[in-house]
Formats: sequence, structure tokens, C-alpha cells
Amino acid sequence: MRSKGRVIVMLAVVAVVAGGISAGAAYAQNESSSGTKQKVTFVWGDTSEPSSLNPMRGYMATDFYFWTSSYHLLTDFTINDLSARPGLAEKIDVSPDGMTFTYHIRQGIKWSDGQPLTANDVAFTLNMYKSNHAYLPQAYLTLIDGDVQATDDYTVVFHSTMPTSLYTGKIPYLYDYILPEHIWSKFDQPKQYDNYSAFEGVPAGEVGSGPFVIAEYKTGEFVRMVRNPYWSGPQPHVDELIYRIYKNEDAEAEALKAGEIDFGYFDSANIFNSLKGQPNIATLNGTIPSFDEIGMNTGSAYQKAGNGYTPHGDGHPALQDPIVRRAIRMAIDSQTLVDKVLLGYGLPGTSIIPPVSVLGARWEPTGDEVIPFDIAGANKLLDDAGYKDTDGDDVREMPGGGQPLEFRYYVQTGDQNTIKVAPFVKSWLADIGIKADVTAMSSGRLGDEINAGTYDLFHWGWIPDPDPDSALSWFTCEQRPPDGSSYGNNDSYYCNPEYDKLYTEQRTELDVQKRWDVAHQMQKMYYESCAYAVLWYGPILQAYRTDLFTGYMPQPSPKGDLLAGYSMDIWWNLRPLGAAGGAPRTSGISAGVWIGLVIGVIVVIAAVVLGRRSRRAGEEQA
Amino acid sequence: MRGYLVGKVVQAFLTLLFVLVFNFFLFRVMPGDPAALLLRGSSAYNPQNVAQVRHELGLDQPLPQQFVTYLKDTATFKFGDSFFMQGRPVSTTIRERIWPTILLVGTSTIASIAIGLLIGIYAGWRRNTRFDYGWLGVTLVLYACPEFYLGILVLMAFGAGVGPFPALFPIGGYSTPGAGLSGFSYWIDVLNHLVMPWFTLTFAYLGEYTLIMRSSLIDVLGDEFVMTARAKGVRENDILWRHVVPNALLPTWTLTMLSLGFIFGGAITIELVFSYPGVGWLTVQAITAKDYPLMQALFLLFSGAVIIANLVADITYMYLDPRVRAA
Repeated sequence: MRSKGRVIVMLAVVAVVAGGISAGAAYAQNESSSGTKQKVTFVWGDTSEPSSLNPMRGYMATDFYFWTSSYHLLTDFTINDLSARPGLAEKIDVSPDGMTFTYHIRQGIKWSDGQPLTANDVAFTLNMYKSNHAYLPQAYLTLIDGDVQATDDYTVVFHSTMPTSLYTGKIPYLYDYILPEHIWSKFDQPKQYDNYSAFEGVPAGEVGSGPFVIAEYKTGEFVRMVRNPYWSGPQPHVDELIYRIYKNEDAEAEALKAGEIDFGYFDSANIFNSLKGQPNIATLNGTIPSFDEIGMNTGSAYQKAGNGYTPHGDGHPALQDPIVRRAIRMAIDSQTLVDKVLLGYGLPGTSIIPPVSVLGARWEPTGDEVIPFDIAGANKLLDDAGYKDTDGDDVREMPGGGQPLEFRYYVQTGDQNTIKVAPFVKSWLADIGIKADVTAMSSGRLGDEINAGTYDLFHWGWIPDPDPDSALSWFTCEQRPPDGSSYGNNDSYYCNPEYDKLYTEQRTELDVQKRWDVAHQMQKMYYESCAYAVLWYGPILQAYRTDLFTGYMPQPSPKGDLLAGYSMDIWWNLRPLGAAGGAPRTSGISAGVWIGLVIGVIVVIAAVVLGRRSRRAGEEQA
Repeated sequence: MRGYLVGKVVQAFLTLLFVLVFNFFLFRVMPGDPAALLLRGSSAYNPQNVAQVRHELGLDQPLPQQFVTYLKDTATFKFGDSFFMQGRPVSTTIRERIWPTILLVGTSTIASIAIGLLIGIYAGWRRNTRFDYGWLGVTLVLYACPEFYLGILVLMAFGAGVGPFPALFPIGGYSTPGAGLSGFSYWIDVLNHLVMPWFTLTFAYLGEYTLIMRSSLIDVLGDEFVMTARAKGVRENDILWRHVVPNALLPTWTLTMLSLGFIFGGAITIELVFSYPGVGWLTVQAITAKDYPLMQALFLLFSGAVIIANLVADITYMYLDPRVRAA
């Protein structure tokens, strides 16, 4: 009797589960055959969270992808080589003295809510960036004298405080996205607006002029962009863009393999390598405008006070000597670091202006200018300069037998590459008689140590703008941390009046090619000072499905960012391949199976409970 | 008894107050300036911007002023704006992550407790049998295994597929963005995203409850009242469920309540592996960025949850154990 009861229960469970599966299958069938046209969605992934979608506050490279697809620049970047091409300003007139600029704004462009884009938007935006201290955008406006004026619907005029070629449109310097006045003028504090939420009088969703606008942002999950219905340029083949935020690259790589995403950026060379050779996946190792460096304290404690600077800190006195710094540079093999730490991705570093920069801006040392990896040469340099090991402990001392060349060398706990580089550098420095004491710390604490001048060597990195002006400005005297507790960009404390003079000269040079000549001199000067040992230019590791989308555009060509991080052309060039491209990608167990499973579990529990009760009743009867 | 209850409530309140004050100063002794941390490495990093950010974040105010502002904001449940989320209200940021956290960590904790206790009860009751050895081994292995490692194995097996077996579940996230799902379909999608992290978290922690319950049960089985019950002819099943288990549950009760209190802390490594939008990873981001308002609110939430859970444990323990009431 009991075994019969159990059989009946088991059969009931099977019947319910089967029924549930069938019902669910029918349910799913109904849903999928509704006959509506599927939208085409491009999904790309990364582990980076946007810092802000508001152009006044955001500063990370990730943020720019959203602005690039939703706003215009006045002067745009070409895809191939980042040279200038007309953007929103189709023509720019410059006065003979190089101080008055007339921008003729392209007509026929509309915002995504149907309002026309006019010169008033341009003037309003630039003035708003200036008066509200927008973090990034206002940096490009510092030479503008007074307000930007809209003299008619399609003409903007402004003046500069000194003659300059920066606003002539010959270089894509004005990296300021133009925003709609009729939206942003509603905010007393425009920096507080997140750029997609509804506000008083402002509807939900971004109002932009590009092919796509932000519709939704779930922090930690995704950003969704939809087509701008009033976009007047070439029509995109994609209806929706989704940026998925992953918290680890293993999951992101598996998502790419599973087709959950169409494209992914990766930082880990190991994971990138694991994607090579996978079916329907292609990889590209490109370069981005970033570099890593070993920075050296060139004398925070010993430089002259004045112009707001107070000597502070306790950097090793030997690092004031460019010979010692050059010897250190000669002892570091950038190629080995690229091969061993970056697994061959990236490029050995030299100048502070990376290869990915505005065409013509970068200087590259050639011939005798190159500081080679040369341990023997480094040792000879130090020997000839009087830094000898007088006590036989394999560590050199200052000339005359003073302080040993023992340096604090700080790396970051949050950046594994700095930790991986340390043993190599420590070993090479030991080969030239320098002892490096490596300490790992948080970036917060490292920033404090740098500002206090209480360091000798550190490992960090930068992501400069395409135009070299901002990067060159970081190493001027006034950019040094001034007093031990305040911040400054110039974390090597390099101070050379000649360099500062050249910086002003390149800002005011009206001829672009002459400006590049001055910029090259500055780069050469800084390179030869060895205040930084630029280790490498970072790679951009990209992988994408070859069976889902086509039309990627590396910027710059041929090995740049495939999603063309500076220009919007990619967003109408991308097109789906076949039926799978852009199709919805929900996955998992269907509703029917879930229903069946849940009911099955309930029935099993019920059977167990009932069975126990009947057993107890039976025992009581017995 | 009323005195006992009042004393416990007052104690909990004072603890919370201490945490409130301590948190404010604790975060500010950490090295690094939040303003500089936000901008370092980008073209926006310059002394003027850093000073501007410090002003916007209220960090240029004297410390006592910042403390008064903090107390006022906390008392009115305004926790300020997040630094690294660039002005996004802290309350909005946490609110978005709380529900997914409760859904994942809450339900998996309850399942872990229920399953773990059941296994522990039967393992203890049938100690030194194959059932006991088998389950003890399984739970020990699961408990010893780092949860992120277990998570990666689960992800690769069921999210990526192994050999001929296809991928079953989505790789990460809370739901499928842009799928346009709503109602029942949406919740099925959420369920599919929840499966892998849920199973990982549940099975990673059930060993804790199994071991404690088993050991507590074995301890109680040695008590004289059990022998008395057997001598009186009480059925084995009744001895277990009516006499042994209620007594064996007492030590696990406090652990259970504290575990429920920890729900609001999220599950950092699981959220990391499965890209799940929970409070745990948000905490890591807040600490890394030295986001004072967010850290303060999160730590207040964690502390409050644990303090309340502890209070509930103390009060309910009094009702569960007559010896405490008599004392």
C-alpha cells in the first residue's frame, strides 16, 4: 500500500512538471510569434563604470563614448589620424592678430526633442562650462577672454587673451561637447544634473544632437542609448546601444563567447589571450593615449622658494642630478616590461605624448637621442660622476662617500602592473648599485606622499588629451605641489624656466607646424631630463564577435579603438550580420520549466509531509 | 523582564550612536584626499579642479562643521551626495542596490540556514553513519572552498557550458538590459540571472549551519532528559523533533539572527564574480574612492542591521529559553 502511494505521488510529480513545461513552451511560443519587428541592439561590455554622464563632471575615458554618440564637437577628429575636420563649426574665420574667432555653425541640425541647434546653444554651453567650473571642458576655454557671443542664429564670436592657433579649427583642441540651452538653462546648478533623469520641466532621457541619446542608466549594470529621432546624418543600422558593466573580466569574456555581448574591452592580457582562436571571435591589440611611468623626485626639498612654492619633503638628493636619473632610465628595459608584464601588448615608452595623439603633435627620439637600455653604460655614467661604492656593500654612495643611493620606490595596491614591474626595476637598479625599497600602498596614500615630497620613485600613469597642451602643462613649475599638503600635477617636481617659456610659446604660436616644433622641443627637453622614465604606452585590448556585427572603425587607423572613441562615425557604420546580429539575448530556463519545477518541489514536499502523517497514524493504530 | 527588555533596547541604541560618531572620524583618518582621488590620472586633475571639487564636496569646511552637517543629515535621513557617483544622492544609490541584495543574499541566507540546519539535524541524529560522513564531507568541502572560486566554477559550468553541455544561464547582471521585458517575463529573467549566484552563496555557507547544528544536537543527545524520554517509550521521531531539536536550536539561534543581520552587507565576492548589482561591491567602490557620505550611510546600514538583529536575538532568546526568563 505504501509503495503504491509513493508511485502515485511520483507519477503526479512527473505529470505536473510535464504539464508545466508544455504550458511554458506554449507561453513562450505565443510571446515569440507576436509578429513585431525585432529592434537591432548592439551590446558592448567593459569593467569600467562611468564617472558621470554629465559632460561638466565626467572625466573618465568611458564617459566619452556616450558623449561622442550624443553630442557634437565644434571641431571634430578624423578617423584615420586624429587630425582636424569641421564639426559643428563648418567654417572658422580668424582675425589677422589671431585673437578673434568667428565660428559659422552648421544649419539643419536638431536636438532629439525636435528643437533646432543654433549658435545660442554653442555660446550658452561654452559660457556655462566656464562659469560653472566644469572639470574637463573649462580647461580648453582658459584662453577665451570674456563671454562667447552668438551674433545671429548660426554665428558665434569670441576673443582670446593672447594670439593662439588653438581655436582656429586646424587642430581639434576645443574638446567641448555642445549642450542644448533650452534644457541646461533650467538648472541653477547644472553640474548636479545626471543627464538622463526627469527634472522639473525636463523630461527623462538625455537631449542630444548625435545619432543616439541616453535613455537609461542603472549604476553598476548598464547604460542604454536609443536612436535620436531627429538625427539628420547618415542613418544608423542599429536601434539601441547598450553598454554592460561587468565586475570581472572572466565573466565578460564568457559573455562574449556566449554571444551575450557583441564587443568587449579587456585589461587583462591573459584573458585577452584566452579569447584568441575562439570560434566567431576576433581580437585586436590597439593603442590608447595612455602611458605608465616611474616618476622621480627631482628635488621637492631643494628647489628655491618663490612664486607660491615652498621647499618640502625629503627626497634623496641624488635624484636632483640628471646623471643619476639618466642612469636609472638606462637601467630600465621597457621592452622587457612590455613583453613580461603586458605579455607583449603595448609599446615601449619614450615621450610623454603617446602615439595616439593629434597628428603631428608627438616627438619620437631617433638615433643618438634615444636613451638605450644599457646597464654597462649606466654604471659608467655613475662611476664617472663620482657615485662609487666605497664600503663594498654593492650600493653606491653620494660623491665623497655620503648618503647611500637607497631609494623609496612606491607602487600601487590597486594596480597589479605596478606590482609586477617592481621586481624587474629593483633588480636592474641593483645592477647599477642602487638599492630600491619597494612599498605598495593605496593610490590615496601615494598621492599624499607625492604632495608631501616624501618619496623618491613611484609608478603611476596618465591618460593625456589628444592635443598635447594639457599634458605639456603638467610639468611646468607652477604645477608642482606647492607646500607639502596641496595638490599639483607636476609629481616629479620638474621645474625648468626654459620649458615654461616654451609652453607659453606653443600656446600662442599661430602656425600649427611651428607649434608642433615647439611642442617637440618640450618633449625632448623633458625626455632628456629623465624626470619620468616612461615605461610603456598602454594597449587597448579589444575582442568582438565576427558573426554578429560588422563596420568597426579603428581610430586612429589601423590599430586604434574599434569603437572610434573620438568621433561618432562608428555609430552609423555598424551594421548587423544576418538574423543573429542585434537579436534579443535573454537566456536561461524558460518560464514553463520554472513553473514545472516549482510545482514539482511543492508536490514533493507535500508528499513527504502527507507520507509522514500517514505513517504516524499507522503507528498509532498499531 | 521589562527591565531586561528596556536595558537591551537602550544598549542597542547607545551602540548605534557610538557607531554613528565613530564612522565619521574613522573614514577621515584614512590616507588620501577624495577630491584628488576622483580626478587623478585624467586631464581634469589640476590644483584648481581639486580645490573646486573639495569645495563642492564640502571638504573645505572645518571638521566640526562637517560633523554637525553629518549629524543633521543623518537625523533627517538625508545622507548627502556620493563623491564617486558624481553627486548622485546616496539614498538613491543605496536604494537601487538594496532590493537585489535582499533578493540574493536574503533568500540564499534563509535557504542556507534551512537546508544547513536540516542536514545538521539528520547528520547529528544519524551520527557515524554513511549519511553523516557523506554530508559532513560535502559541507566541509563547500565551506572550505573560497566562495569566489566556487562562483567561478559555477559560472563556467552553467553560464559558459562544459563540453557538450550548453550554457544554461546568463553570465551576469540582474536582468537583461534592453530586452523590453515586463511583468511575469521580467521576473523570470531576474530569476534566471539569480540562479547561479544564489546557488553559489547558498551552498558556500550551509556548511556553517550544518556543523554547528550537528555538534549542538550531539551535545543535547547526551543529556539525561533524552534518556528519560526513551525510557518512557516516546517515539524516536518525537524525541528528535519535540525534545532534542528545540534544545539544540538554541546555540544556532543567535548565529541565525546575526546572519540575517549581515544580509544588508551584501556578498562582495559573489557580486564581483557574477557582476551582480548589490550593496557589497558598492561598499568596496565607496572605500576605494574614499566616498565619505556613501561609506557613512553604508556602514550605518550594516551596523544598524546587525545591532537590531542582535537585539531581536536577545529578546527572542528570552522567550525560547525558559531558563533565561527564570533568571
